Amino acid sequence: MGAPAPALAKPQRPNVIVRLADGAVAVATLSLIFGLLLVFFPVAFPRIIVTSWQRGHLAVILMVLTLVLDAFLYLRASYLRSAKPTVLVAACLGSLPIIVVGGLSFLMESAVAQTISLNLPNLQARINEEVLAHTYLGLVSAVFLPFLVIRLLQQFKATS
Amino acid sequence: MSLKWPLWIGLYVVLGVLVPWATALSWAHQHGSEMRPRVRQLFQRGELGLVGLVVVISVIWNLLQSQFMQQTIALAAVLLAVIGTMAGDVWIESYCRQSTGTAWNSERTWRDSRNLAFLVFTMASVVEILLDRFAKVAALWALPLQLWRSLNAPT
Repeated sequence: MGAPAPALAKPQRPNVIVRLADGAVAVATLSLIFGLLLVFFPVAFPRIIVTSWQRGHLAVILMVLTLVLDAFLYLRASYLRSAKPTVLVAACLGSLPIIVVGGLSFLMESAVAQTISLNLPNLQARINEEVLAHTYLGLVSAVFLPFLVIRLLQQFKATS
Repeated sequence: MSLKWPLWIGLYVVLGVLVPWATALSWAHQHGSEMRPRVRQLFQRGELGLVGLVVVISVIWNLLQSQFMQQTIALAAVLLAVIGTMAGDVWIESYCRQSTGTAWNSERTWRDSRNLAFLVFTMASVVEILLDRFAKVAALWALPLQLWRSLNAPT
């Protein structure tokens, strides 16, 4: 028996190269939806977010949402480019949104604590606005930053 | 719905995208050229990323003047700066590739700069909406408080 013919050998699929533009459209759409909800439901939408924060569900919801979105974007990119998803990138995408949302939750708590300590007028409304801003920034960071980190790591790996 | 936000975005779109395009058309007409550049051709080297960077700078400036807590201002400013830099980087990479003769794909550059500029525009709009809401909340009590202080001030 000789060696198998090259035509019969299974073709190797390249690893997925993540591009920032993949995540950019998703985050932009997310921002657009968030902005439209704020404009058309200026009272009801922030109230849902603040109530969710008061009950302690906000961070968990954000983690699940960003994790699902990141996974979907990565799998979509691999499908469109007929490329193979790698374990390292998948692990990175699985952990970074959780780390980012977790870290930013501490930052939000510190901003709220500082607002309370200043004893400013209209305190509750100020806290609500801080929570709203941190929710939006956390959402954007947790979707976009993992893609940015992976992109930079891939670029570093390619040049080294 | 207030007309403020469509007007704010429209200002950047008109001055950053439509005016350069109209200027190119006017130049072609003045010089009797057959050239009729489309917006996509005019910004094919990633120049939209630079427009995005300008938008980001103005939003960061507004953030720094707001009454949000330092943590919120820092987070928003850093995030906007990173995204703005990435948008501007598309133009830098395109310039470097063209200057050094490295493989360059105008289709990809256009797509990347367009997507990142879209991200910058939507993010900047949401941050401006949040700033506007916070300014209203802060101003709601500023006037009665000033009035109360002036009434209770020692004469």
